[in-house]
Amino acid sequence: MRSRDTRTAYLLLAPSLFGVAAFLVLPILVVVWLALQRWDLIGPRTFVGLDNVVAVAQDGRFARSLLVTAVFVAIVIPAQTVLGLGAALLLNRGLRGSAVFRVLYVLPWICAPLALGVVWRWILAPTDGALNALIGHRIEWLSDPVLALPSVAAVTVWTQVGYVALFFVAGLRAIPSTLLEAALLDGAGPWQTFRLITLPLLRPTLFFVLVTGVISTFQVFDSVYALTPKGGPQGVTDVVAGRIYYEAFESRAVGQAAVMAVVLFVLLVAITLVQQRWFSRRTTYDLST
Amino acid sequence: MRLRRLAAVAAALFVLAACSPAGPDDPPAADGVTTVSVRVWDDQVAAAYEKSFAEFSRQNPDIRVQVNTTSYADYFTGLTLDVASGTADDIYWLNALYFGALADGGKLIDIGKALPDEVGGWVPAAVQQYTRGGTLWGVPALTDGRIVVYYNKAMVEAAGVDPQNLTWNPTDPAADTFLPAAKKLTRDAAGRTADQPGFDPGTVTQYGFNAGRDLQAIYYNFIGENGGRFQAPDDTFAFTEPRSEQAFSYLVDLINTHHVAPPASATNTNYDFSRDQFLQGKMALFQSGTYNLKNIDDGATFAWGIAPLVAGPAGRVSVVNSVIAAGNADSPRRDAILLVLRWLGSEQGASFVGGEGAALPAVTAAQQGYSDYWAGRGVDTRYFGAAGGTDTIPAPSGPKFGAGSTAFEPIFNDVFAGRVPVAEGLRAAQDAGNAALR
Amino acid sequence: MTVPRILRNGAAYLLLVLGAVLTLAPFLLSLMTALKTPLQFASQQVLAPPAPPTVANFGELFGGRYDFVSPIVVTAQVVAVILIGQLLFSVFAAYAFARLRFPGRDALFWVYLATLMVPQAVTIIPLYAVFADLGLRNTFWALVLPQLFGSPYAIFLLREYFRTIPADLLDAAKLDGAGTLRTVAHVVVPISRPILATLAIITVVTHWNSFLWPLVITTGRQWQVLTVATASLQSQYNGNWTIVMAATTVAILPLLVLFLAFQRHVIRSITLTGFR
Repeated sequence: MRSRDTRTAYLLLAPSLFGVAAFLVLPILVVVWLALQRWDLIGPRTFVGLDNVVAVAQDGRFARSLLVTAVFVAIVIPAQTVLGLGAALLLNRGLRGSAVFRVLYVLPWICAPLALGVVWRWILAPTDGALNALIGHRIEWLSDPVLALPSVAAVTVWTQVGYVALFFVAGLRAIPSTLLEAALLDGAGPWQTFRLITLPLLRPTLFFVLVTGVISTFQVFDSVYALTPKGGPQGVTDVVAGRIYYEAFESRAVGQAAVMAVVLFVLLVAITLVQQRWFSRRTTYDLST
Repeated sequence: MRLRRLAAVAAALFVLAACSPAGPDDPPAADGVTTVSVRVWDDQVAAAYEKSFAEFSRQNPDIRVQVNTTSYADYFTGLTLDVASGTADDIYWLNALYFGALADGGKLIDIGKALPDEVGGWVPAAVQQYTRGGTLWGVPALTDGRIVVYYNKAMVEAAGVDPQNLTWNPTDPAADTFLPAAKKLTRDAAGRTADQPGFDPGTVTQYGFNAGRDLQAIYYNFIGENGGRFQAPDDTFAFTEPRSEQAFSYLVDLINTHHVAPPASATNTNYDFSRDQFLQGKMALFQSGTYNLKNIDDGATFAWGIAPLVAGPAGRVSVVNSVIAAGNADSPRRDAILLVLRWLGSEQGASFVGGEGAALPAVTAAQQGYSDYWAGRGVDTRYFGAAGGTDTIPAPSGPKFGAGSTAFEPIFNDVFAGRVPVAEGLRAAQDAGNAALR
Repeated sequence: MTVPRILRNGAAYLLLVLGAVLTLAPFLLSLMTALKTPLQFASQQVLAPPAPPTVANFGELFGGRYDFVSPIVVTAQVVAVILIGQLLFSVFAAYAFARLRFPGRDALFWVYLATLMVPQAVTIIPLYAVFADLGLRNTFWALVLPQLFGSPYAIFLLREYFRTIPADLLDAAKLDGAGTLRTVAHVVVPISRPILATLAIITVVTHWNSFLWPLVITTGRQWQVLTVATASLQSQYNGNWTIVMAATTVAILPLLVLFLAFQRHVIRSITLTGFR
């Protein structure tokens, strides 16, 4: 019986095992191997040891892209969390039509980030874009090195707010109304109730939103590619995923791109583990609702 | 039961899935017809090629030619990936920026050896540009001729400017007739020109000129006309030399000091911004090449003319660039490829390109058709030739020019946008470009 | 201290409407531009509605030099094949993990979970190298293979769900002489409809919008998907915003329609699973 189960189980698992091995595990090994090769896509691959590591360390652009990504995450995550929570509070007032607003807010998130990036590239275009036409002044949203990263971040926040709000709405609904009523009876004002009851009870949602948000924002590519190709003015929007893409497929320095990919992988695993530790230590409430 | 139905649907889908509506992966057609694919980046020439290949297939019924067009902006990224994975087309266009790496990588058919009898019929400058290591690496397909100035007749007449005789000068304002003309041709929303007090550069409705980070139409020629150079004989970049730097400074000032050209933020990322402004009647002088003639003839709804390119202290100096059709050395269809290439390099094969006015063919005997076509449309093409001057600045060269330009272009963007001082930016760009050559 | 309720609600509505305007404006603006001729766009106010509206851009998109039909069909094919493969193989694997006992189960499940941490930017280069070496680049299979065999994430979700299925149901099927496949098809799948629908939505949205992998693994028109076609059109017709906006409209619209049709379910799915 048991051995039949085993056979059946492995038969059932065979396709996904192949998928996981071939497309998730094997690539990790191959990328490490590629990191030790010189390869320009056209010629043969030659083993160069740690030359690529040295080259990446000397080329400031990778370090810059890590910094750019960190700043990008640092703008997007707080902004989308605060705005998402705000939207959720508004949506949770039991107002008529809330459901419609909720659906509208999620619209950008369902669409291809690339297509939305192209739309925003027009809206933010310097001479014939919609935004500058509206304000009647030429502002270089995407080509000014100071404005480019905040502009790209704003577009990202615009796509994510409704999505983040959904989780907060679910989290708010899970808070027993008796708790809030009791607080009001005790004479607590709305702000106090929010700070002392709502916010602590939202903590699991908050952590979920932060953890998934940081990880996905760290890997942003499509919208940045569409808005500010090739790293933007002075490379101020050269996020890590884009740097890896351009290094491999435009500069054709595949070995160096592989080194960057390995570093990114290690970084993301570290971020995930740290967040998970934090998450498991801090979570006191169950998210299951 | 349901499982079986699902399986049937799945099976049907998998079978259907493997066909793309865009073709061209249909099974090798019956009766041993070979399909040769050709990749180009120019829509106008692609249309002429379709007609040319229809005639070719009439003469060679066992070969069909498929033309694939990719936008120029994505052309070389995609081509490189395709060459790397062996999925490149049988024949593809190359320009000076990228051909060296592919030639050195052994990816191209040696045309000098394969079609030795044909070489004499091709424009010598093009043959020379694409000869590396004593070998010619492609059939010259197009040559851009000399750079010219397209002008909006009503605008130059209104401003009293003669576009035929403009000279720029970076050091002697008295000798500079171009800048005052460009200023007169630039207007803001209130109708004030750039040389009038109160001119508002924020609301320009008509630009005088298309200065910008445009290698072929703008900065190469300006460098040449100031006696400077872009590359040293060993192909390293040498554009920080004083004369080259003066030319860049002059161009940057046209944009950011005098505001007679569109902001660099618009032109840096959009190769066609200035052409579109010109076509929309928002630009007076548009310096460009043969490659935009058909676009302008199709798109302009106003009277326009062609003048020689703006002269500099060293006279009229133009870059003359050519494009080759290269044969894919990894393709198993070598014989068919050579037949198609021989056709493209023949007078008859190239005549469709010239005869449609799409571009100037690099097959000498087919060039007359181009002039005839345009003469028939009342367009004088002589300034693309010797009437527009005879001096040239060498076209980009070297196997890694593409890698170098990938490195220096972002810095040029900043230079043209006025975000870094010209000297400092050029120095950084040159260092980055030369680093990429190693 | 106490602001009248009606005022507070009024303020809340105002903010909600403001949010809705900010959310919808880009969609409406791009649609308006898509309905203008290039001449109208150049000569009229950017914010003015198209007068008169024209579908010429869409005509050129589908009938002209730029064939946008093929990318739609290719994208639909890719999504359909991935959808079937993912659901089928994820159900298989999840059933094994949830309902069968076999040596190595927990260790293997942890491996699956660990692969959730592998970002796409890391696998893209090695997968490109492998596919190029195998001669699979620029083929339909290159687009679907990496996703075809189920995703660890879907397996994880399904496993959680399958574990809640009462054992009696499965035992009853077994007593009736049903094999594993029959049990899965006739007992497990029917009760798991909600989670399967959720997964289907996730899969469709993710792969309809997918960009980076198709960008590097295909070139040219033949296997171009919608996102890549949109990006390539924007670089080719850079500045010709009317046709570019027509393209983005086409790229966005199918999912928007799908979303509005199933919005209740989609929203529930998102909060249930937090996908992406």
